[in-house]
Amino acid sequence: MWWKISAVVLLLLVFLFGLLVPLYPGLTHAAPDTVAPGASFVLQIQGYNTFFTRAEAPVRVWLVHEGRHVLASGSVQAVDEVTLEARFEVPATMPVPASSLPLDLVVDDRLHGAMFLPNAVRVQSLSGETVAAADSLWRLAEVRDLHRNEDFRFTHIPINYESIRNLYFHVPMWMVMFVLFLLSMWHSVVHLRTSDAIADARAAGYAEVGLLFGMLGLVTGMLWANYTWGAPWSNDIKQLMTAAALLVYLAYFILRASFDEPEKSARIAAVYNIFAFASLVPLIYIVPRIFSSLHPGGEGNPVFNREDLNVNMRLVFYPAVLGWTLLGLWIARLRIRLSILNEQLMDR
Amino acid sequence: MFMVYEACFRGDPGSHVPNYSAKVHFPLNIKGGLCAAVRGTYLCCMSGWDAYLALLRKEILLEWRQRYALGGILLYVCSMVFVVYVAAVRIQPPVWNVLYWLIMLFASINAVVKSFVQESGNRRLYYYQLADPAMVILAKVTYNTLLLLLIGSLALFTFGVVAGNPVKDVRLFALTMILGSIGFSIAFTFIAAIASGANNSATLMAILSFPVVLPMLLTLVRLSAISLRLMQDTAYWRDVLNLLAIDTILITLTFVLFPYVWRD
Repeated sequence: MWWKISAVVLLLLVFLFGLLVPLYPGLTHAAPDTVAPGASFVLQIQGYNTFFTRAEAPVRVWLVHEGRHVLASGSVQAVDEVTLEARFEVPATMPVPASSLPLDLVVDDRLHGAMFLPNAVRVQSLSGETVAAADSLWRLAEVRDLHRNEDFRFTHIPINYESIRNLYFHVPMWMVMFVLFLLSMWHSVVHLRTSDAIADARAAGYAEVGLLFGMLGLVTGMLWANYTWGAPWSNDIKQLMTAAALLVYLAYFILRASFDEPEKSARIAAVYNIFAFASLVPLIYIVPRIFSSLHPGGEGNPVFNREDLNVNMRLVFYPAVLGWTLLGLWIARLRIRLSILNEQLMDR
Repeated sequence: MFMVYEACFRGDPGSHVPNYSAKVHFPLNIKGGLCAAVRGTYLCCMSGWDAYLALLRKEILLEWRQRYALGGILLYVCSMVFVVYVAAVRIQPPVWNVLYWLIMLFASINAVVKSFVQESGNRRLYYYQLADPAMVILAKVTYNTLLLLLIGSLALFTFGVVAGNPVKDVRLFALTMILGSIGFSIAFTFIAAIASGANNSATLMAILSFPVVLPMLLTLVRLSAISLRLMQDTAYWRDVLNLLAIDTILITLTFVLFPYVWRD
């Protein structure tokens, strides 16, 4: 009983905190995104969850190339809460021989803490030719004394923004699915050793609910992908592999239904269940490591690697995993009790 | 028939493994295909390795006796290659690579599905008394591996004739084909054993096996793309290791689980 109550309480807290806690202030966009060497320009920076007019001076803005070569801004002015204007003088030379140079944007003040936008601006030579390198002008400034925002908030990641909250719903689904499939396989092993019909009913029940959570994981992932990748289905390797894993378990239910004798059906289904679980391991753990993925943390997105999960997010994420797991076990137990009762009714 | 049956049964009743210590030597002089297939061998009371060789020999001889079935599969490969070629007249190497493995996949499924379906219940019961199930499945896997290698070579030859042969690194491609044949053979043989008792075994065979072989197929296509010089990867041995790992997992599971499938 206690664990059912704690599942409800944990999930309520997860919904409450997961949906209500705001994101850290961050940067979404900077214009112009391309400038010529030697140009003097005003960079207009768009913020998210920011209060630029309330920020106390000094608000410092830098453009950084690979963390080594830095341009500091001249005057900085807040236009409104979410717009900041910073004046920059770009040297006529590049720090390294190149025709094009990507720059990351860093904005820092005491109220917001340090904010970061990767590849915000690109220095592009007009002719497209390589510009001579002289890095002295790129070494006058230094990014230092950054402030930390200590509020209880969630990480701001460009592109993801508010959809980062999906972490508390999408990711736990996979963990619950895996736990349920593991239990299902365990009961299949028990069934093979003892020929116990109840163990088989348990295996089927856990597999059913595991499949349900897998589908929920796929759906929550597709909803999220629609906003961050631009389409619900991008043939990402993890999407493909989880779809295949779900097919394996759908086939398990077809297999259960295609034998006339219940004992044979139970035994063969138990064998396939163990086989299916073992094939899930390469699907989920080996293949996604060979091919690059669009997923945050995957190779395709180096930006997402740094501090994806800050401490605050972990504080919500771990209870979410626990809460969803308990809920999954609860549903599965109800399901199993129902099927055992049905079986007994049929026998009578 | 009954004498052999009883001799083995008396040796160790209740176990599916015949008791080899019961020094009874009976030539198998039963009427019918099996007896002729293993003529001169003593399937009962043999060590595991001999039983394995006898069973393998039986598989090959049975196939040879039903040459039309083997011919059917080989013709299936040829027709499929031809249909694929007609449907996509100009075949570039990347497409060639994918099509080749798809032909292999479908031909393999069709070749392996009959490993258990063709055996009647009586004959199964007979083997069940005689041999260790692990040896039975190992013999079938070995035989199917050889069959798939034949199918793969035939597909390579016919596809090469009609659509050109873009393989640059022959050794790597051969290795890929061998690993692929072993992997497909293990997975499909085991799933054929599972599906053989069901009502709709052909459909079941496809839906049970496709998701299972998907990781293998992806790795095979990748390795073969490297051997076609479609992509550069000097660390392809990692893929080879992955394939070997998958094959090991599958064969171990097959050994452990097949006796349960077989016990009927």
